[in-house]
Amino acid sequence: MKTHKKVKITLQNVTKIFGKNAERVVALDGVNLEIYDNKFTTIVGPSGCGKSTLLYLLAGFEKPTSGGILKDGKLIENPGPDRGFVFQDFALFPWRTVLGNVMFGLISNGYDKKQAKKIAMDYINLANLNGFEHAYPHTLSGGMKQRVSIARALAYDPEVLLMDEPFGSLDAQTRKYMQEELVKIWEKFHKTVVFVTHSVIEAVYLSDIIVVMSARPGKVKAVFDVKIPRPRNYTGEQYLKVRKEVLDYLEEEVQKEIEMNNT
Amino acid sequence: MGNGEDLKSLQAKNKVSEIGQFIAPFLVFGLFWEIMVRSGIANVQTLPAPSMILHELYVLIGKKGVLQCHIYHSFYRLALGYVLAVVAGITIGTVLALQKDLRDMFSPVLSLLISVPTIAWIPVLLITMGLGDKTVITAVFLGGVFEITYSTIAGIRSVHQQQINAARIMGVRGLGLFFKVLLPGSLVSIMPALRLSIGYCWRALVGGEMLSAMIKWGVGKMIYDARFWNDVKVMLVGLIVIAFFGVLLDRIMLKRLEHETVEKWGMLVER
Amino acid sequence: MTGKGYILPLVPIGGFFLCWQLFAHFGFINIALFPAPTRIFTELSALFHQEIAGHSVLLTHLIVTLKRLFVAATEGVIIGILVGALMGLSQKVYRFFDPVITWVMPIPGIAMAPLFIVWMGFGDPTIITVGAIATFFPIAYNTSTGIRSVDNQLVRAAQIMGANKARVLTQVYLPWAAVYIFTGIKLGLARCWRTVIAVEFIAAANWGLGYMIWDAAEYLSAGVVYGGIILLAAIFTFIEKGLISPFEKMTIEKWGMVRI
Repeated sequence: MKTHKKVKITLQNVTKIFGKNAERVVALDGVNLEIYDNKFTTIVGPSGCGKSTLLYLLAGFEKPTSGGILKDGKLIENPGPDRGFVFQDFALFPWRTVLGNVMFGLISNGYDKKQAKKIAMDYINLANLNGFEHAYPHTLSGGMKQRVSIARALAYDPEVLLMDEPFGSLDAQTRKYMQEELVKIWEKFHKTVVFVTHSVIEAVYLSDIIVVMSARPGKVKAVFDVKIPRPRNYTGEQYLKVRKEVLDYLEEEVQKEIEMNNT
Repeated sequence: MGNGEDLKSLQAKNKVSEIGQFIAPFLVFGLFWEIMVRSGIANVQTLPAPSMILHELYVLIGKKGVLQCHIYHSFYRLALGYVLAVVAGITIGTVLALQKDLRDMFSPVLSLLISVPTIAWIPVLLITMGLGDKTVITAVFLGGVFEITYSTIAGIRSVHQQQINAARIMGVRGLGLFFKVLLPGSLVSIMPALRLSIGYCWRALVGGEMLSAMIKWGVGKMIYDARFWNDVKVMLVGLIVIAFFGVLLDRIMLKRLEHETVEKWGMLVER
Repeated sequence: MTGKGYILPLVPIGGFFLCWQLFAHFGFINIALFPAPTRIFTELSALFHQEIAGHSVLLTHLIVTLKRLFVAATEGVIIGILVGALMGLSQKVYRFFDPVITWVMPIPGIAMAPLFIVWMGFGDPTIITVGAIATFFPIAYNTSTGIRSVDNQLVRAAQIMGANKARVLTQVYLPWAAVYIFTGIKLGLARCWRTVIAVEFIAAANWGLGYMIWDAAEYLSAGVVYGGIILLAAIFTFIEKGLISPFEKMTIEKWGMVRI
C-alpha cells in the first residue's frame, strides 16, 4: 500500500549562529529538511552537530539567524501548544504532583479543572503511572519521571511531539524499556514526532525516517527511510542492515568532529 | 595576526564598560541628590549634598585628623575581639565535637545563645564591665564566638573517620592530630563561619561603640556623638566608613583566605 | 528524642542557675550586678503586675515591641519581595539595586538610627523604618537571586505548553523562587528582630522591650536586664520553632526543594 507522505514542517535554508565576532559558533548551516506528518523522524549526529539546536528551533525556543521554519505553511517563531516537548532532564515542576504536572498544559489551554483532571488521568494510565498521580517528582525514579514528562507533553494533544534525547539520563535497562513503551504509545496515536538522539540503535528501533547530520556546522548529510514493521527486533536482519548503513555514515562525521576538537 | 590584539582591546573595553555601568547609578543618583539640595528643594540641614559630605570627609581626615583615630580604635577592638572569638570558638568547638556527652548537654544551650541578638548582651556588659573598651571588645567577642563554635563542631564531626585512622596509624596523636588532620578537614565548615562572623563582629562593634558612653574614639561613637549636634554630615561620613569596611572585610580579607586553603584543596562544593 | 535527650540539656542550664542562686545567696558574687535568679523572677513579676493606665507594664512593653516588629517585618517583606522580583526579572533594575544592596546591607540598623532620629524623631517612626530597612535587604537579595536562578528548562516547558507570560510568572518563577524567598524571610526576620531591639535602646520613647532593658541598665536594675534577655531568647525561640519551621515543612520540604 502506498502511503502518501504529507509534509508537516519544512525547514528552509535554516542557519543558526550563536555569539558574536570572535566567539561565534555556527551551529546550523543552511539546513533544508522536511518533516512528514504522522511519521516518527529521528535526527542523529555527532556531538555538537546542532541536533538539539534544531529541535529548539522547531520548538520556538530560539529563532533561526536566517532561513525559516514553516509548519502547515505558517512560520514558527515562538513556543506554543501546537507542539509538545520532552526534555532530557525531564523539566518537571517539583512543586506539582504528577497529576499537577500533566494537567498543566490542559489548564493553560483553557480546559476547566474537572475536564483537565480526567484527560490527565487517561494519559497517566497510558504511561503506566497509576497510583502515582499524587506523588511529587522528587520521589520518582528516572524512568518514571520521563514517563510523566511524556504524558505531560501529550496531554494537551499537540500536533507535533519534539523529544530531546529523552532517554539520555536513564540507565541502559530503563532506556530499553522506555523505547519499547514509546513505540507502544506511538502506535496508538501515530503523532508526528521529531526525536533527537546520538544512539543509532535507538534511532533504528524507533523511527520511520532517520536524518543524519554532519559535524559542526550542522547540515543534513543523509536521510534514511526505515520501512521495518513494528515492534522491531534488535537482532533482526533488516534492523541490523539499516543500523550498519546509518552507522557507516555517522562514523565518518564522528571522526570529523573528533579531528576538529583536536586542532 | 590582528585577532589577539583585537581580543585584548575588546576585553579591556568590556571591563571599562562594566565598571562604568556599576558606577553609573551612583553618579546619576548623586547628581540628582546634589541638584535637589542646591536648588533648595531638599533641606540642607537634614540632607546635605554629596559634595558637602565629601568635603566633610576631607575635613575629618585631613584637617582634624580625627577619622583615622576613630578607625584605628574601632579596628583594634575588632581585631582583639575577633581573634579571641576564633581561638575560643575553635577550642570549645573542638572539645564539644569530640565529647559526645558534653555535646549533648551543651548543644541546645548553644542554639539558644546564638538566637539572642548580640546587642541584647550589651546592657548586661555595661552593668558588669562598665562603659569602656572592655565592654565593646567583649561585645565583639560574643558576636562571633557562638557562630564559630557551632560551625567548628559541625566541621570537626564531618572529618571522615578514615582520615583520622590513617593519621593514627602513621603515629600522629593528640595535639598533632588536631592541627594536622582535624583542623584542616573542618576548615570547609569553619571558613564560611569565619566570614560570617567578621560581619557579625563588625556589627557588634558598631553597636557596642554606640552604646558605651565612656569611650572617646570609635566609628560608632562618632556617629552617636554627631547626634548631639544634629550633624548629619558626620553621620553620613560615619555610615560610609562603616559600609566601606563592612564590605571590605567580608570581600577581601577572608575571600583570600578561603581561596588559599579550602578552594585550592578542592574541598569547596560549588553550589 | 528520648527521655535522656530532654534531661541532658537541662543539666547545664539548671546547674548554671542553681550555682548562680547559691552564689548570690551566700554572697560570693556581687548581687547588685548579679542578682539571684529568684530575684530576677520577682522583679519581672513586679513589672508584670505593675500597672499603668490599667495595663500591665511588662505586657505593654512587650506589645509595643511586637507591634513594631510586626509592622516593620510586614513592610520589609512586601517591599523586599517586590523589589527582589523586579530585580530578578529586569537586568536594568538589577544593575541599579545591586550596588545599593552590596553597600548598604552590611550597615547595622543601629548605626542608621541616629540619622533617622534627626529625620523622624524618637519613637515608632524611626524604629519601624530602620527595622523595615534591615528586613528589606536580605529579602530583596534572596528573592532576586532566586528568580535569576530559575531553571530555564522549566520556563521553556511552561511556554511550550501554552502558558502566557503571567502564568509563567506565577506558576514557574514564583514557586521556584519560593525556596530562596523563604531563606530571605528567615534572615530578614532575624535582622528585623535584632534591629528593632537595638534601635529601641536608643530611640524608643518610653516603651518597648529594648527600652525596658536599657532603662533598667541605666538605673542598674540588673534583675530586669537579665529578665529581659531571657524573655527575648524565649520569644525568639518561640517564633523560630513555632511559626517558621512548620511553615517550611508544609511547603518546601514537601516539594523536596530544601536547601541545606
